[in-house]
Amino acid sequence: MTAESRPLLALDGVCVAYRHHEVVHDVSLEVASGEVVALIGPSGAGKSSLLRAINFLEPPSKGRVLLEGAEVGGSRRSLDALRRDVGMVFQSFNLFPHLTALQNVMLAPVHTLGVPPAQARERAMQQLTHVGLADHAHVKPGKCSGGQQQRIAIARALAMEPKVMLFDEPTSALDPELGAEVLATMRSLAAEGMTMVVVTHEMHFAEDVADRVVFMADGRIVEQNAAGKLMRDPQHPRTQRFLNAVRNR
Amino acid sequence: MSMLNEWQDYLPDFLDGLVVTLQLTGVSLLLGLPLGLALALAMTARRRAVRWPAILLVEVGRGAPALVVLYFVYYGLPQLSLTWSSFACAAIALAFTTSAYTADIFRAGINSIPVGHREACQALGLSHGKELRLVVLPQAIRVVVPPLVGFCILLYQGTSLAFAVSVPELLSRAYSQASITYQFTATLTLAGLVYGAISLAAVALMRARWPRRAPTVAGAALPPERPDRTNPSWETTSERRER
Repeated sequence: MTAESRPLLALDGVCVAYRHHEVVHDVSLEVASGEVVALIGPSGAGKSSLLRAINFLEPPSKGRVLLEGAEVGGSRRSLDALRRDVGMVFQSFNLFPHLTALQNVMLAPVHTLGVPPAQARERAMQQLTHVGLADHAHVKPGKCSGGQQQRIAIARALAMEPKVMLFDEPTSALDPELGAEVLATMRSLAAEGMTMVVVTHEMHFAEDVADRVVFMADGRIVEQNAAGKLMRDPQHPRTQRFLNAVRNR
Repeated sequence: MSMLNEWQDYLPDFLDGLVVTLQLTGVSLLLGLPLGLALALAMTARRRAVRWPAILLVEVGRGAPALVVLYFVYYGLPQLSLTWSSFACAAIALAFTTSAYTADIFRAGINSIPVGHREACQALGLSHGKELRLVVLPQAIRVVVPPLVGFCILLYQGTSLAFAVSVPELLSRAYSQASITYQFTATLTLAGLVYGAISLAAVALMRARWPRRAPTVAGAALPPERPDRTNPSWETTSERRER
């Protein structure tokens, strides 16, 4: 297998269980470098759980996660390496409220990568500029709008220079206007070639930005296809039902 | 008028007693607060072998009346040939009680940090220790200051128990003066006023530095509503543990 065809991220038979209640059943998925994959589906389908299993926030109960062909998990070291390479953006932002935007973005590079503070500060400023918030560097998150907070959270994840970015319903806590500015940031990130896995209810975003859309229901992948195809011509009745319901809202 | 005249006679002695009371309060806090924080961290640890002994210690410390603990240290430990001064015994006993009560305050502070913040730390690859030091504790401290100040005032008043092992603190002075003059009303009123003055001053100081505000200092960055209650990142740490 050549480096070209080897997926950047691969899930192989991943199951996720809370106690004994399994919510993701035997999911396999491959994500190529530079690819944007949207995970869509009804609430409770296991999309978020699957996403959280990728960076072991919910360690998979079965199955394997492979990053650049190497299996992750088992040792603390491989988990640390995984988390350095995989950025995560949460629905609820999860910014640290006692730190300024700049400090939020600098924290991990300084304390996990050991980047010297001066250099980390410079890079953090670049990341904030990147998401259009250089002027908010010294403001605490509580003083920012939801959209700004989410963009700071994106900058914070980008500061680790990850190979993959995971987004867990990044706009669900935002009103449509603020959501739009976050989606614009994500669009430009995708255009720059970032590999992204996005759990979303934003169907336009999935259709326009994602290369591939994966539809999940009841803890399984029901159907996946190139974005345009799946959205316009779903094959599986469950997918058709979901998309009809969403469109006729 | 006569009471004021008596007070004038008592006051120098009482102020010496107040110094001992404040020293006892200070030493008990100095020993008890770090131990309380350590117990709180142990109580919130993942490993059961760490968690359970800490919980046991805290429950004993909160379950046993402070006077019983004090007598245990003062009269009980010498039987194991451990003998300290009455001041040291009182400080040790009160520090133990302090650690047990403040451990629960610290634990509540730690548990009030949304679990999402901790997940964000993990997702950023921060170690468990750094997660605590850089993100959890700085936020938790802000939450626990008001209840801690409340406890400190209780402890300050609780040092009067040391009277029972004849530490020459404020209440002991009042009692010994009264046993000479039989002016219990005058001496105890003055002692009460001295206790009260310091307590109220401490409360006023805290109010000035820590005006009442919305209780969610730690959640300040969260939007007001929780749009999706099923999302695990919205839980607080205590809610998560219940699951």
